[in-house]
Amino acid sequence: MIDFQHLLTYLEQLPLLVKVVWILIGFLIIFIILLIFYLKYLRGYLRKKETISKKLFTEYEANLINFLYSQTEEEINEEQQIIVDKMKTCITNKFKRKIFISVMSKLKNDISGEMADSINNLYIKTNLINHSITKLKSNKWYVITAGIKELNLFEITNVFEQVKKHENHPKQEVRNEVQLYFVSLFHFKGLDFLNTLKSPISEWNQIQLLEILQKFDDQEISDITPWLKSSNESVVLFSLKLAKIYNQFQIIDTLLELLNHQSKIIRLKTIEVLNYFQVNEAKKILKNNFKNSSEDEQIAFFQMLENTVEITDEEFIVHNTKHVNFQVRVLALKILKRLNNKKLLDLKNKATNDEDKLIFNYLENN
Amino acid sequence: MDSNTVRIILLIIHYLFFIYAFSVVVSYILLAIISAIESFHYMKKNSFVNYNEILSSNISPSISIIAPAYNESLNIVENVRSLLSNHYVNYDVIVVNDGSKDDSLEKLIEAYDLVKIDYLINPQIKTQPLRNGIFKSTNPAFEKLIVIDKENGGKADALNFGLNISNNQYVVCIDVDCLLLEDSLQKMIKPFLEVTDSKVIASGGVIRIANSCTIKEGKLLDVNLPKKFIEISQILEYLRSFLLGRMAWSRLNGLLVISGAFGMFEKKSAIAVGGYDTSTVGEDMEIIVRMRRHMEEQKVNYKVAYIPDPLCWTEAPDNYKILISQRNRWTRGTIEVLKKHRKIGFNPKYNLLGMLSYPYWFFYERLAPIIEVVGIIYFIILITLKNVRWDYAFAFFILAYLFSVFFTIVAILSEELTYHQYKKKKTGFKLIVATFLEPFILHPAILYAAIKGNIDYYFNKKLKWGEMKRKGLSN
Repeated sequence: MIDFQHLLTYLEQLPLLVKVVWILIGFLIIFIILLIFYLKYLRGYLRKKETISKKLFTEYEANLINFLYSQTEEEINEEQQIIVDKMKTCITNKFKRKIFISVMSKLKNDISGEMADSINNLYIKTNLINHSITKLKSNKWYVITAGIKELNLFEITNVFEQVKKHENHPKQEVRNEVQLYFVSLFHFKGLDFLNTLKSPISEWNQIQLLEILQKFDDQEISDITPWLKSSNESVVLFSLKLAKIYNQFQIIDTLLELLNHQSKIIRLKTIEVLNYFQVNEAKKILKNNFKNSSEDEQIAFFQMLENTVEITDEEFIVHNTKHVNFQVRVLALKILKRLNNKKLLDLKNKATNDEDKLIFNYLENN
Repeated sequence: MDSNTVRIILLIIHYLFFIYAFSVVVSYILLAIISAIESFHYMKKNSFVNYNEILSSNISPSISIIAPAYNESLNIVENVRSLLSNHYVNYDVIVVNDGSKDDSLEKLIEAYDLVKIDYLINPQIKTQPLRNGIFKSTNPAFEKLIVIDKENGGKADALNFGLNISNNQYVVCIDVDCLLLEDSLQKMIKPFLEVTDSKVIASGGVIRIANSCTIKEGKLLDVNLPKKFIEISQILEYLRSFLLGRMAWSRLNGLLVISGAFGMFEKKSAIAVGGYDTSTVGEDMEIIVRMRRHMEEQKVNYKVAYIPDPLCWTEAPDNYKILISQRNRWTRGTIEVLKKHRKIGFNPKYNLLGMLSYPYWFFYERLAPIIEVVGIIYFIILITLKNVRWDYAFAFFILAYLFSVFFTIVAILSEELTYHQYKKKKTGFKLIVATFLEPFILHPAILYAAIKGNIDYYFNKKLKWGEMKRKGLSN
């Protein structure tokens, strides 16, 4: 048997530091035992949760499919009402509600037309909409985001004002979701948020917004000129993408003005759009700005010249066949080959460095 | 020296060891807390993300996967197939055959209908020259594949060649034997595209151990726990390192290393600093330190991001010989990098990098094995001098052991609460058993490798990469 009295006497006479060590050992043993039990419980719980989730998912999916296929001309028939009532009871439980929403989301993504409308209808009938609207009032950013996402998914347009309140939310994730809501449900009209947007739109969200816009049948875009003149750089960059995708030839004058924008990235992206439109007028401005441009802009300009070159550009091109940047040099020589092959051969014969010889050989064979 | 002076000296040494051990424990606890906050934030933030639009978008940024290969003939065809099966739209795969002596190139040519092409290389970074040339497939199904056959120059040189060849905006540098999940690229690119207030220069991914996992045709079908304790111990080590350590450093924006097995860079930034350093075996850490240093010197607001999702799976050493060789190399790499960039250390000009990341790595990565061995030697001397209070020593030993067990269990808990990859029954029990055994199974080997790495660094300069025999992941 352990002699506790002896043990206590021993511990009492220990120096303070060693006493602390034994106390920590005691705590660690307790923590480790507790954590092991918790881990065992957690693993069991997660496994069980996964099994139940799968089961409920299948069950709700079957119910939803039944709901969709029992659609008649009535707004909601008896069979559907039974399903709605059943679902209403289920969704009082947070866990079940989450699964139900994920089933609806999955089906919503797989179907379209009347069936999609039926799911939206079910979302309203089961009062899930109220849960989502309540989320908009939360103090937690991720709850608000989830609410907006659901309202977007089930196409609830009449909460526009409530969602709009969050358009300048300090958390980027909320703002992203608000922007997706606007564009998904109000299409090009939804882009009006660009007029008042104070914060930047991330590149990630710009791609998402553009992909959503391209899915719509109606591709009539409003005038983007004000956005190209925005003081918000990300709005200008986004509008440049819009200009390219939606072939906005009418805004070329504004694009030419942007060639003198103070932001390097805006100037670069403008050159790319002007290249896409093959705007010859841009060449004069770009040639004038060339010396003070960044290397990226210079490369972009030469890529533009590949498409728009004229005989009058020859002198400028020849001058840049000795440019310090490899890509500019290659592009200049490539263009020169098309413009004046004899001149290219002259330069080839005069070439001294190995890198240039490689370029000439490559151009000769390709 | 009188006995009183000796006693005072011994006491000072004791306290120095104690302060060091105490600071290690405190730093681990702090990292665990920060990591928990970051994990919560990351999981919440990414639960709303829809990756599909980015996946299918033609305006999503272009990415090159650069995979250096040296004598990988055994698995190269299948490994490349896995790299080609990514769901991202706008990417290509650049396999750099770094002077392999086996038939890797022939196998690739045959499997992917490769033909030699004329390719103008922009020699932004100096590398070893081409050997047989550059190849592309005649089969449209493999149009994303570019194979380069060059003279041997080491992993860093091969990666630099890939950087020169790539025409894309971003590059993913990986080991060719790594298995990437199909959604890995869009998850890795996200940090670059979502920031609006700073510039992301690199993002690092988690490396998971694929030993014993079910893999077919380059796809991970089932996650299993390996049988050998040495492999399970490494799983625990990786969980600690990736889910607790790096997650916390990511929150602090103090990440000093991105695993060479899986990291994404903005190509322009990587080239601006001159690409990978071919003179070090720690090229993956070195490029990050150099890029960060460059950004600090340019006074650019930047970030090195970290993605904790299990996206990249690789084969871990299953025997001590290979494990020691690998860890020896890692140690030499750390020493080389910290020595090369010693200017950063404790230099307020480099902000967090100089005042926190570098000192942390210096004290708790670079010096840790040395201090541990000095401690062991000192303890042996005390035993010889019969100057050990065994009951006190026992208490400290138990405390250190229990803390290590506790910290590992926290790492397992973190894994369960986030990614829950080891779902099968009884794997939890095996992980717990390994947690208790790991300090005796893995730690001595790692300590030995680290000390050997130090010795090799100072006395065996010619030693470069160790040998890593692959068995292959597919089964």
